[in-house]
Amino acid sequence: MSAPALAVSLLFTLALAEPSASAAEPAPITEATPALPRLARAVADAVRAANPEAPIAVSLNGSSVELRQAFGTLLASRLAAAGLAPVVLPAPTSDAVEAEARAQGARSLVRLTLDVDAGEVLARGDVLGTWVNFWSGRTPTRPPRPAAALSEGVEADPTVLALAAVRAPSPPPTSPPARGVRLMGAVMARLDAPLAALGAGDLDGDGRDEVIALTEHAVSVYAADGRLLARQELVGLAPSAATTREPFGAVAVLGGPPRLAVWSSQQARGALFAFDRARAELHSLGTTDAVALGPRERGAPVPGQTAFLPDVKLAEGHGLTVPAPFTTASMAPPWRLFVHPDGTASLYARPGGVPSRLSGLGAGSALGDLDGDGVPELITTSPLVQPTPDVLRVVSLAHDAPLGHEPLWQGALPAGRALQVVTADLDGDKRRAVVVGLWKSDGTSDLFLLRQGAP
Amino acid sequence: MKSRTALVCLALLAPTTASLAASRPRYGGELRMAHAGPAEVAEPALADTPIEATLLGLLSRPVCHVTPDGDARPALARALSRPVPQAVRVELATPATATALARAWTRLTGADAPSPYRALLYPLRAEGRQVTASGHTLELALAFPWPDLERALCHPALAPLLGTAASGPFTASGKGALAAQLAWPEGRPYLDKLALTATDERGLTRMWTAKQVQVELGAPAESNTQVGPALYATYLAFSPRKLPVDFRQAFESAIDRDDLTRLFVRGPAVPMPHLLPPALLVQPARVRPTAPAPTAARTVTLVYDAALEDQRAVAERIQVKLHDRGYTVALEPQPRAALRSRWARGDFELMLHAVLLPPVPGPALAIVLDTAGRKDLLGVELPALGALPDASARDARARERALALASSVPLLPLYAQGLAARVAPEVMGLTMDPQGLPSLDGAWVLPADGTGASGRP
Repeated sequence: MSAPALAVSLLFTLALAEPSASAAEPAPITEATPALPRLARAVADAVRAANPEAPIAVSLNGSSVELRQAFGTLLASRLAAAGLAPVVLPAPTSDAVEAEARAQGARSLVRLTLDVDAGEVLARGDVLGTWVNFWSGRTPTRPPRPAAALSEGVEADPTVLALAAVRAPSPPPTSPPARGVRLMGAVMARLDAPLAALGAGDLDGDGRDEVIALTEHAVSVYAADGRLLARQELVGLAPSAATTREPFGAVAVLGGPPRLAVWSSQQARGALFAFDRARAELHSLGTTDAVALGPRERGAPVPGQTAFLPDVKLAEGHGLTVPAPFTTASMAPPWRLFVHPDGTASLYARPGGVPSRLSGLGAGSALGDLDGDGVPELITTSPLVQPTPDVLRVVSLAHDAPLGHEPLWQGALPAGRALQVVTADLDGDKRRAVVVGLWKSDGTSDLFLLRQGAP
Repeated sequence: MKSRTALVCLALLAPTTASLAASRPRYGGELRMAHAGPAEVAEPALADTPIEATLLGLLSRPVCHVTPDGDARPALARALSRPVPQAVRVELATPATATALARAWTRLTGADAPSPYRALLYPLRAEGRQVTASGHTLELALAFPWPDLERALCHPALAPLLGTAASGPFTASGKGALAAQLAWPEGRPYLDKLALTATDERGLTRMWTAKQVQVELGAPAESNTQVGPALYATYLAFSPRKLPVDFRQAFESAIDRDDLTRLFVRGPAVPMPHLLPPALLVQPARVRPTAPAPTAARTVTLVYDAALEDQRAVAERIQVKLHDRGYTVALEPQPRAALRSRWARGDFELMLHAVLLPPVPGPALAIVLDTAGRKDLLGVELPALGALPDASARDARARERALALASSVPLLPLYAQGLAARVAPEVMGLTMDPQGLPSLDGAWVLPADGTGASGRP
């Protein structure tokens, strides 16, 4: 689906979820209500608490047009249901917005800036009166009421990220331009067990990646919007004779007809599945002896430990001996990254080459082209044992010592242990998003999705 | 969510609740630990002080652990299940382990080694005397509904005997040296080795000051120690047939439990005014009665555990205080095995009896009633408790029954002790489990620079 089409679809979905005042009261808010309707209700309640006089003008700022439009629609619906006769001002500038509101006949004005930050979608601004005292003449004095500051926020969801990330289509350039990196995150899905491994790949051949989450005893496939597409228990596999104390494993999407290879340290062997999207099922294709680390890479675990042995077999027929056991592997052909237990990493720019030695990487590390320049970036968590909070960094591999330079982007992650990171092309547009697996203190996990936001 | 993984998360997130580790624990290395316990531990039913249970648990574990949520998670067992409501299936890694476990439980419930921990198996058919292994499985049929059986099976006293099969996260690899067991069902410990040194309190202080050890067990409870729940409960058992009817009143009027824990018992210790320790039953203490009318002086013998210095001090205190009530108390230290044997025969007038109670009120009450010599009450109290399907309702009822039965059992609760562990800053992941014991298999040593645990070792 193209970006505009996705935006239209999301807007349509949101519009259905939030009918206009003339049709009925807005839908009641429940725990299952998406983030934007919840935020609209919170803002509408805050506006009503300021006792503004109708009609009321709404001015929205924020980097994404689609997010502004969607939120404006929902907020207007809420305000209309409250009898405040809202008018959403089209693309105002901050200087002209008051004058524009008066020109539209509004008696009150709501000014809001929308932002997505640290997993929350935020609306911050104020509500003010636009009535000008007759005795003020041409001076646009303000009335004493209404006057209130507004600051509301709710946990973002994949819909918010999709709206915030939408761009106008552009013809494919001959050489892809590099873009800046600005990631916005939201919880994509929640699992009831700690993650053992995380993966991404196009399992159904539609050109878009699915996200695969492996726990100790089950594998789940998620769509870009966080919908669970299929789940399969890992049953019938012999238990491992030397398991690990914490969940650990590997996930890879193999080529040819797409197949999913998973291995959990609880089991002696890996399992192979085919994804049937129509039936929302994973069909077992058998077991594997080697652990699939990537589409063309096979490895073996260090018995009883959360690490893999240094010898990696490649599909080309030859092998690769990494300098030390590694805990994390990420492939972005021809690049290969292996993160070692001491926080160092071996980065191969081409098969058979000499690896670059990196240091200061976290357990969650991955390669992926986020800025569209054709060269993958390195995405990595903090190397500290107890970071407060954990920080995700995106660094360019254009330098000899990537981690010695200023990161392209870095941001705090929600609370939890960030041990798995993958990148995924969720829209089929070659722009990769980042998915971080977070272990929560209650024994559950979150999949935290970070997408490129508007610059 | 599987409780095993939940506990792993809790343990790994435990170093600080505000900051969550972004990295995997490191494998490898040796942890040096000193303790104030014996150099060698005996069989599980006798190694029941918190230190001894900890040391034994390095080499032999019960089938499960109780999680902070109150669930039972497999430890020695690969899985615990209920194929039908009235039976629990314990799946072990090997037939040898299953056989060793069945033998240990049969010994516990037999006449060879009488122990109050047999009460944990009382809900089984034939009171657990006929447990047999079938391959690598134990099928445990219940005599009456007892939803707490799994949690009861997690008690350290129900671990297999040492030397039968590899049944703990570590194996002995020399004098005072333990090595990680690769095939431990919960996953091998992070440490490669554990070096143990048995010493006394003065030795603990000296070794800690000299930074010769990274973990100390049995250190005094201080601000820099981790302390587990106080579940090692000490009672004064008395023989109603051999003592006057007002003995309970005489004792209660003479003994101040706060005095015992403040002056005579090494910490961490708390006064225990009721049959269950404060960790399981929080109720204000009853008002102490007045002394009974004086009667003719009589001589009684108080037997106590010769291996426990605390019990000697408390026995002497009781000797002094009961003298004011007309009792001349002779003290008789006994080895623990002999003490248990005399307890089983009812061969005592007064006995200091300490037991490690599980962190679950129902099974704890079962042990207390058996300790009191009222095994007959198990058949009355446990089926009524087990009939309640809700765990919190069962726990509440067990507490109620403990209060109600207090005056009808010949057992005077005295104090409950926990275990304090002093842990060096570089040791991560060491937490106290709900049983009050440190989980050393989850401990790992932080790299010198504090970074680089990116991963997985």
